[in-house]
Amino acid sequence: MILKKRKITSSIALFVCFLTALWGIFWLSFIIIDVLRHGITAITPSLFFNDPAPPGEEGGGLRNAFIGHLLITIFATLIGVPIGVLGGTFLAEYGRKYNISKVISTLADIMVSVPAIIIGAFIYAIIVKPLGHFSGWAGSIALGIIMIPTVLRTTENMLSLIPWTLREAAFALGAPYYKVIIQVVYRGAATGILTGIILAIARVTGEAAPLLFTAFNNNYFSLDMSQPIASLTVTIFQYAMGPYEEWHAQAWGAALMITVFILFATITGRLLIKRRYKD
Amino acid sequence: MTPEIEVKNLNFYYTGGVHILKNINMIVYKNQVTALIGPSGCGKTTLLRCFNRMHDLYAGNKYDGEIIFQGQNILSKETDLIALRSKIGMVFQKPTPFPMTIFENIAYGLKLRGIKNKGELKSRVEKALKDAVLWEEVKDKINTNAFGLSGGQQQRLCIARALAVEPEIILFDEPTSALDPISTGKIEELIISLKGRITIIIVTHNMQQAARISDWTGFMMLGELIEYDKTDKIFTVPSNKLTEDYITGRFG
Repeated sequence: MILKKRKITSSIALFVCFLTALWGIFWLSFIIIDVLRHGITAITPSLFFNDPAPPGEEGGGLRNAFIGHLLITIFATLIGVPIGVLGGTFLAEYGRKYNISKVISTLADIMVSVPAIIIGAFIYAIIVKPLGHFSGWAGSIALGIIMIPTVLRTTENMLSLIPWTLREAAFALGAPYYKVIIQVVYRGAATGILTGIILAIARVTGEAAPLLFTAFNNNYFSLDMSQPIASLTVTIFQYAMGPYEEWHAQAWGAALMITVFILFATITGRLLIKRRYKD
Repeated sequence: MTPEIEVKNLNFYYTGGVHILKNINMIVYKNQVTALIGPSGCGKTTLLRCFNRMHDLYAGNKYDGEIIFQGQNILSKETDLIALRSKIGMVFQKPTPFPMTIFENIAYGLKLRGIKNKGELKSRVEKALKDAVLWEEVKDKINTNAFGLSGGQQQRLCIARALAVEPEIILFDEPTSALDPISTGKIEELIISLKGRITIIIVTHNMQQAARISDWTGFMMLGELIEYDKTDKIFTVPSNKLTEDYITGRFG
């Protein structure tokens, strides 16, 4: 009797899990297919190699936004990842003894869920406003700050998952603490930390709001990070709101390219890890 | 028999002043196998971890007394822990391979000591693996991940890693408690083969194991070293009633 009841409960639970998974996957595929369907027609060489043309004129592209987006993301990563990884290392390794570490962890958790637009407004207030103009640097700093808590918390969690006996084994061989961390603990946690970094990059790649306040936009091709610079997300926002058909098409194309980039980044990360740790 | 380590009036306290080791006095002899036995929680692992100052990794622990090794009290503040731990190696209860290849695992300790020459690394790694009787099993997959080995092989890898840096002493903390009988047998043979070359201190739950492999045995209970003598004597004519009760299986 009891066994039968358990079997029924088990199948109900399994069914509910299956349904929710299906529900999630359905919307995910819906979004991806929609982006693919609309975006694929906009993918032409001119999208990548030409700068925006006036509406109504053929052959306009988003070269400025692609390059701008790349620059902003690269510098954001250079700002966010070292601070996040080192901070997470402090919390998990050296900072265990201090109560302040718990406070920092909690604050980082809160920071993860702070709306990105608030970070954008913050950078606007402390960098854009005093300098008097929008700039690519301000955009990178805003995105870098958004990355920090994600990277920090994943690093901390991944390092905490490495069993203490492994560290003890390295200490027992006469290794100083920094070598234990760099050569043993990081290697054990590399997969997790790299996943955290990729997730953080993926998250900021899709941000538009903080860039609106910081990097703003630029209709011309520019490599100057101290001036306003174009980005894909802000361009998507602007083009999707615009009245022209070709703007809409290009926005879909840009959305598809961001999606593909995130997919590509994730796969590259996984492959790198696999190659390094193959048996 | 030359003394290698001399423990004098050693007391040890965990965080909050919990008195774990009570007035331990013993002499560990050079190139012999010394076993520490006793019921769970008697402090044998705690004592073992005093010899390489492993307790220093955690805040709040306090040593009192002396452990004399090579004419120095290793419990003093001036002790260079990195130098100490390179002379006194350790093998743990569960195998602890590093997340790297078999070769890199063994070479790790050598590299810490500044050995960079590829040829020397190679020959020392091979020698350590041969000493740990693992070479034949792994020579064709030396550059694969160490996690691919079985539990018993991983433990022998850890022994090889400890041997590679040619320590004076190796501390074994219940090295076979997570292993099957065949792997246990291999590790016991290995420990016996190291006799005469390296001083070994082994903590074990298994009294037969202590009887099989050790020259000296210390019986501990509730943080005290109840009896410490030649293994033959402990297991045949113990002088303490508690020791006799324990080895005849009346408690613990």
